Amino acid sequence: MSDLAIHTQSLAKFFGKTRAVDGLDLRVPRGSVYGFLGRNGAGKTTTVKTLLGLLRPTAGSAQVLGYDIRRDLIAILGRTGFVPENKTLFDSLTPAQLVRFNRGYFPNWSDELAARYAELFEIPMHVRFGKLSLGNKTKVCHLLALCQGAELLVLDEPSVGLDPVITDLLLRVLVEDHVSEGRTVFLSSHQLAEVERIADWVGIIENGKILLETRLEDIRQNYRLIRAAAETAPSVSSPHLVAAKRLENFWSYLVARDAEDFAAMLRAKGMTILEILPVSLGEVFLGLTRKEVPCISGKPGTIPAPA
Amino acid sequence: MLLSINTSSGLPVYLQIEGQVKQAIAAGALTQGQALLPVRRMAAELRVNPNTVAKAYQNLERDGVVRTVPGGGTYVADSSPGLLKSEKLRRLRPLAHQLAVESLQLRLPTGDVVKLVEGELGGLGEKR
Repeated sequence: MSDLAIHTQSLAKFFGKTRAVDGLDLRVPRGSVYGFLGRNGAGKTTTVKTLLGLLRPTAGSAQVLGYDIRRDLIAILGRTGFVPENKTLFDSLTPAQLVRFNRGYFPNWSDELAARYAELFEIPMHVRFGKLSLGNKTKVCHLLALCQGAELLVLDEPSVGLDPVITDLLLRVLVEDHVSEGRTVFLSSHQLAEVERIADWVGIIENGKILLETRLEDIRQNYRLIRAAAETAPSVSSPHLVAAKRLENFWSYLVARDAEDFAAMLRAKGMTILEILPVSLGEVFLGLTRKEVPCISGKPGTIPAPA
Repeated sequence: MLLSINTSSGLPVYLQIEGQVKQAIAAGALTQGQALLPVRRMAAELRVNPNTVAKAYQNLERDGVVRTVPGGGTYVADSSPGLLKSEKLRRLRPLAHQLAVESLQLRLPTGDVVKLVEGELGGLGEKR
């Protein structure tokens, strides 16, 4: 059995000339909580849909829970709980009817959990799905995914429309009933604070490619923001430099590792080091994907001295 | 015990857990032999990954702050970690280095830095 819950090799999905997913290599370890991050249009939802057979890949290959997405889709779908980005289900059915409809497909379905989550999330179980608010629709999608006894949960924008109390409950349920049971959670989200809490792996996608895939702990231990000052900034170069920003005489450099060495180099070039700070996931995300940074987005490298 | 996690600080969550447990012990809120919440409970309470809590507990055990009974939970250890002095010093060295770097950067005289550390030690010592 593969120790990866999701594994893709140069996966690609084109829509005409649009390369939504463009040579994606994902490695999602079993039992991990993997935060799949990217800006709008980066290719997150297309990736998710391709992994679950809702779209056919243009090229490349992928395995989910060890099963090939082209050959063994049924095996994948029976073991995967999915909360889609657009929370659509049959509008004319009530949540209670949707539960009855869904439970037959999943041998590990738990009625006990369904009852518990319906109460916990305060879901109106006898109102037609089409009449529900976005928040309540989202909750119903979660209930259906969480009760399957799935080995893998794929959650696309899980907290959209949810109030902070329900989001907090959802996080608790995910940790308590899924992560603690060794199940894998693949979570695509913009809510970086949530991801930072519960994820242990993150992948950042941009233009259909992975910019960074690492343990969250690697970011916490090795990524640093170096704030420095100088009359004229020197030209610097390091393979670990992720991004740099300047405001007047002040510079900040985001480095992926060896921050002390980088700071020493800056010092040797006459800069004053103000501080070296640990960074949050949000800062790394912005550093990698923001277009205004003077180094090439996502490509650690050289910054030319300003003219 | 109740902990509070701040994800925007950039400080690793496991270090926040470790720090708050150590602080609670230093302040007398957790006493010798008292049990910490099991890893899963603590993770669910804090809404953080169980691996993160497990790592914090492991580090606390390595530091002699808590002891783990196989299959029986995690307890606040007997007061003084029985470590060799050289090992204790080895653990503090990175912090000392950081303090030295910062002090040099700020061009603070050594005497003031020593006084600062003594002041901090004194403040904690009163509570012991």
